[in-house]
Amino acid sequence: MDRIKTFFRVLLFVVIGGFLHYTLPQHDIVRVTSTEIIRTDFSGWNRIFFASADAGSAEQNTRDLRLLNTQKQDTWLLGFVPRETESVMVYRNEDTGWGWPFYFKFDSADLQAEAANLARGDDWAVITHYGWRVRWASIYPNAVSIRPVAGPDVSIIPWFNIGFFIFLGIAALFVRAMWRQFLERSVDPLIDKAEHQIDEVQAGVAKRRGRLARWWRKE
Amino acid sequence: MGFIKLVIFGFIGLSVIYLSMSLFFRSVRKENLEEEYDAAHPDDGDRAARDAFVADGLKAYDSSIRPKLIGLVYVVPTVVIGTIIYAINAA
Repeated sequence: MDRIKTFFRVLLFVVIGGFLHYTLPQHDIVRVTSTEIIRTDFSGWNRIFFASADAGSAEQNTRDLRLLNTQKQDTWLLGFVPRETESVMVYRNEDTGWGWPFYFKFDSADLQAEAANLARGDDWAVITHYGWRVRWASIYPNAVSIRPVAGPDVSIIPWFNIGFFIFLGIAALFVRAMWRQFLERSVDPLIDKAEHQIDEVQAGVAKRRGRLARWWRKE
Repeated sequence: MGFIKLVIFGFIGLSVIYLSMSLFFRSVRKENLEEEYDAAHPDDGDRAARDAFVADGLKAYDSSIRPKLIGLVYVVPTVVIGTIIYAINAA
């Protein structure tokens, strides 16, 4: 039983962790090599890994997709082994509009122009993005913004994510406090009342039974 | 269309948060009032006086600014969304 519980806890942790890892913004240090537009035919199951058509236009199953081709500075292996290598990374550049995930991005065309400008030179830039690159599903992380930086060794502090997790912690404590208050003030009194009633009924039954027993003995 | 969807479902979600927060803060205030009375009048069996004290306290709470601040539940997300829109789309 404990093993099943642990299994479901780990599963829940992985699902929520994966969801946050997909949705929250991350920063990559890249050199944009080119920009590109490909036609994309969404399938039923990889559609959820794409955002929406340009804000204000109609949503079709087939449309053009803006891509940014880059050389990406590799991050530290497993987070602690430094490495000086580069690899290719391809980003999509899509509006999220008013829908999920809530980046409220409407300026894909402008971002494409900025990236095209960067692609002319060999300068480093930081791409803020969310999402994953999965080759066998042909899905790409969505670039949200791009800004030039001095070099590949620039350090980036993820302010949004810090704030988000602080907020999440506070919200969790708040929900816990609300739930406890609800139990203490609304549920516990009801249970007490019900228990009291059961006690009274049992006492009544015992009394009647006593009367019955006495009457029986009299016979 | 997406905007309308966001407004409708956002309003529903925030209303749920607003209602539960109103109930929560009122309940906490009530509990504090009861404890305040019990601390001031130990071993006092006067239920009517206790109820009156709590009712007065809650009336004062209802007319104070504190329950109105819960309305920020609607304001803050709107401001945050506006800030995000500006930060993401301003070049």
